[in-house]
Amino acid sequence: MLEKFSEGAEAVIYLARLYGKDVLIKHREPKRYRVRELDESIRIARTKKEAKMTVKAHESGARVPQVVAVGSSAIYMEHLHGKLLKDIRITKDAARLVGKQLAILHNSGIVHGDFTPANIITDGKKVYVIDFGLSEPSSASEERALDLLLMKRQMTKALYSAFASSYSRNAKSSKETLSRLEAIEERGRYQTRTLA
Amino acid sequence: MLTLGVESSAHTFGIGIVDDGKILANEKSMYKIGTTGMIPKKVAEFHVENSASVLERALARAGVKASEIGGIAYTRGPGIGSCLQVGQTVAKTLAQRLGIPIVPVNHGIGHIEIGRLQSGLKDPIVLYVSGGNSQILKLSKGKKRHYNVLGETFDIGIGNMLDNFARGAGLDPAWGSTVEKAAMGGKYLPMPYTVKGMDFSFTGLLTHSIKQIKGHRIRDICYSIQETSFSMLCEALERALLVSNSNEICVCGGVAQNTRLKAMLSMIAQDHGAKIGYAANEFNADNGAMIAFVGERMLLAGIHSKIIDCDIEQRYRIDQAMVV
Repeated sequence: MLEKFSEGAEAVIYLARLYGKDVLIKHREPKRYRVRELDESIRIARTKKEAKMTVKAHESGARVPQVVAVGSSAIYMEHLHGKLLKDIRITKDAARLVGKQLAILHNSGIVHGDFTPANIITDGKKVYVIDFGLSEPSSASEERALDLLLMKRQMTKALYSAFASSYSRNAKSSKETLSRLEAIEERGRYQTRTLA
Repeated sequence: MLTLGVESSAHTFGIGIVDDGKILANEKSMYKIGTTGMIPKKVAEFHVENSASVLERALARAGVKASEIGGIAYTRGPGIGSCLQVGQTVAKTLAQRLGIPIVPVNHGIGHIEIGRLQSGLKDPIVLYVSGGNSQILKLSKGKKRHYNVLGETFDIGIGNMLDNFARGAGLDPAWGSTVEKAAMGGKYLPMPYTVKGMDFSFTGLLTHSIKQIKGHRIRDICYSIQETSFSMLCEALERALLVSNSNEICVCGGVAQNTRLKAMLSMIAQDHGAKIGYAANEFNADNGAMIAFVGERMLLAGIHSKIIDCDIEQRYRIDQAMVV
């Protein structure tokens, strides 16, 4: 029996040992509310894509967990010890580091797709980006801007400004991305969306 | 406080009367969408023609005289401008003639609050799904409360998508249930599935579905468009539930009447040990009672507007509306 480490909306994460190392197994559980065909295609496609994107992100030099093995609906990966950013008080330094990590990903043509404090781990010194489940290879400024927008909605103004300025310093096409972000926020529907 | 509510944001002109949260009347007349959809001028004309008779019916049903009404509420928005104007005019005229307070109400707050309070939920994750709106919301904390939008559609509302497809497939989209009926016994076809965090998008699914009309059975496309779009809503909702550590779900809005969506959401609630509550179908469809219901609470809390300041706002965002 594997030890359950945590449970998210679409996957259960188990703690295990593999080749003498601590690993996490992220298993996408079936969802009984979805019809079987749709459920399987989502789980298999996302597992495959997540593994591929996590490896790609690792190769880009971003701090992400190393993938050890992949099954049809499970990914075996390095266990990073630390706390989720959503569970601690975020410092400006941490926000800057997060901005740099996002810049590294975007510079390599990777968008994260669910870039929030719930998907950043910190050990107090470094920050790591996790969960590439909704990640895509993309060079579209719209997609990059949405990564920034998701993080912006979860941060105070001061933290976001530290995050965004670090992102701007490190990202190749930051000007284009930031102006796209403004355009998205100006679309009527989203002008006044408040922060939860 | 005997309160009369006027709703006219889209195809329905409705008048409801409540007293102490109890619904005494909920009368309406509905413009038939047909194959042309809603043409703003025509829907507004329909509302003008029907407003007096709906008002009379509501008063008769409640068994009260107009002179006994203590307060007026009306839908300020969001909705179609010309339609909102009809309800606003009726409400202002009544308030002026009767010399009683008037309060503008957000349409979405009407759906949500009547659903939340009638199903006895305290602080639920709300799924508000209708023709024009598709949002996942939760009440803010603190004294001055409003609903925070946790996730929403990037483009069109889910009901709008289902009606649009029905029209494209040559079906008659009579207020939304057409696709549900046509989906019976269908088989699953792969469809584009777009969820980003707790947000989602429906236009890609709509375009793809319309392209499938040639070469596939309408029944299979209807089945697949429903399964796919509802699964998207369910995924976003399940994420919201877990992220916010909530154990209550409230479902409201016109599309909340769909039995397949209800069944899927019940499974999520069951799997997470969460309580799930729905507004009665009468209040999921657009209606005046929900506006009266919320309006009464606001008036009792001392909130009202000068008649001259009463306006409409086509894009009245739900997170800008106060909740009492």
